[in-house]
Amino acid sequence: MTIDIPPTMRRIGEVIEASSTAWVAGAYQLLDAPPFGSLVRASCHADGLWIYGLVYDIRTGSREPGGRAMVRGGRRYDGAEFYDGQIYSEHPDLAAVLQTEWSALVVGYERDGRIVHYLPPQPPTVHYSAYACDEQTVRRFTAQCDFFRIVLNTSLVPAEDLLGTAIRQAAALHPNRRDYELCAGRELARMLRDNYDRLRTIVRMMAE
Amino acid sequence: MALDFNLVGQQVKQMGGALRESADDRRERIERARAALDEHSDNWAEWRDRAGAVYDKSPWLLAAPAEPLASRHPLPACPPTYNLAAVDGSQIDLDRHGAAECFLINLGLVLLRYGDGAECQLRSTPRLYYQEDEVVLRDNNGRQYTMAGPLVHAERDTLEGVALAHLAAELALDAPRIAVQDGTLIRWPLSGLDTWVRDHFLERYLAGLSLLRDLAVPTCSYISRPRTPEVTGLARLLADPGFAKVNKPNGAGDPYRGLNDRDLFGDGRLREGERSALFKSLSKINAEHYGEHAIYFFYLHVGRELVRVELPEWAATDPARRDLVHAIAYDQAQRGGGYPVSLARAHEQAVVRETDRRVFRQMIEATLWHARLQGGDSLKAAAKEMQLV
Repeated sequence: MTIDIPPTMRRIGEVIEASSTAWVAGAYQLLDAPPFGSLVRASCHADGLWIYGLVYDIRTGSREPGGRAMVRGGRRYDGAEFYDGQIYSEHPDLAAVLQTEWSALVVGYERDGRIVHYLPPQPPTVHYSAYACDEQTVRRFTAQCDFFRIVLNTSLVPAEDLLGTAIRQAAALHPNRRDYELCAGRELARMLRDNYDRLRTIVRMMAE
Repeated sequence: MALDFNLVGQQVKQMGGALRESADDRRERIERARAALDEHSDNWAEWRDRAGAVYDKSPWLLAAPAEPLASRHPLPACPPTYNLAAVDGSQIDLDRHGAAECFLINLGLVLLRYGDGAECQLRSTPRLYYQEDEVVLRDNNGRQYTMAGPLVHAERDTLEGVALAHLAAELALDAPRIAVQDGTLIRWPLSGLDTWVRDHFLERYLAGLSLLRDLAVPTCSYISRPRTPEVTGLARLLADPGFAKVNKPNGAGDPYRGLNDRDLFGDGRLREGERSALFKSLSKINAEHYGEHAIYFFYLHVGRELVRVELPEWAATDPARRDLVHAIAYDQAQRGGGYPVSLARAHEQAVVRETDRRVFRQMIEATLWHARLQGGDSLKAAAKEMQLV
């Protein structure tokens, strides 16, 4: 099947695990992962279906299970010192044995141009691509606040951090930032009327 | 039944005492061996000729010195940019009810570039041997050799060497190049085999070395915790040049009983980064069949341990190539935290995990089953063999 990829969409990873509520993608390049809280989308073998997610975890580690990084910085035998980025130049094999992965919480899907803030009929397909969302797509997806419910109800993730960051990033892309923040705040107040502490945490994160 | 610690404790104490005494003896023997190397160091050329003349009569493995016996060589500067190829292999023997139908050799291939434009490529290549003439070798007289156990190992060693040569052809020419192997370059196990079988493996291996030489890529191997006693054998020759005492009972004719080269060159004899003198191995297969690729070696202190580095004559006798091997062997060991990182990565690529082994065996079982079914067996006959569930 063919997927129409708009030229503004950037391919950022390959799905390596997927379920109806979340997916994990492997980055193509070491350390190259979308930021925490950003809106991403993954493709699916089912025609015309896009699954949206919020990035909630980014990890870099050994490709082999149980591998653990050893301390590599310091002085080499000839006196030269290496730290940070220099360690990667000194050990070019690291890029081949380490892998960066990121996890996304499913917050909705799009089919035939229509965005829905419920769990998708099918999860993303393993080995299919994941993409960053361009500004227009972020505005379209976040125009409605119904997806907040999924984030608040999940036990998976640091939900307050995730939602606060996502709203803040979305607000920056909407034409009237203040209006968006007020609208989001009202929706949160309604959903969290019984949990003032949680509401306060998220509202604080929005304002960072 | 509980262990009587009173009784066994006394015996353990006695064992400790015996070990201490033999440790003292051992230290004394090591000192004597080192003193012998020091004493005869400057006459090394004479001993090279002597060893070369008597190696096939010697009851001990021997080495021929190519430099003063007691010489120590400091670490040369390592080029900041170099290109390296490394290969390691692993095997899966498949033995179905005693008749091996196929076997698998998996090679790990590593290309590493350090310095300017540092990068790394890791990959693995499996090779399945299943053709009739691959699983059972037949010589010109019709004698058969089933490829199992040691012969599969020999095939793996050969494949590693050949693959390394081809991989080395991919190394960029803009910086010093080197090809590194794990283990030994000397195909010791082949010396006991029938000529035809030996040549079946050795000729291809030597062709690999020829390719490396033609590419002008020095090659070497790296042996951790070496157990070879070749220089110890030379020390024995120094003590008893005519083999007069070799027939004494209980090894009494052996002044350096229980020692190997690690004892002679380890434990402070070399400073970190230094290498020992260069020697040529006089193992039969090397001395008689390697020709222009005759394998030389030296011992190297890499910090954590003493290692043996082997290299063919065309690399060993060229000072620039020899120094490059010395510098890079040490550099690789430092980068790998005590063991060459390139060989560790090659090993990781080569090793086949237990889960993958199981899947592989299932694939083979399924393929063989289908092959039998389509090979003329009736479905009724098949049904008789297997119960439908």
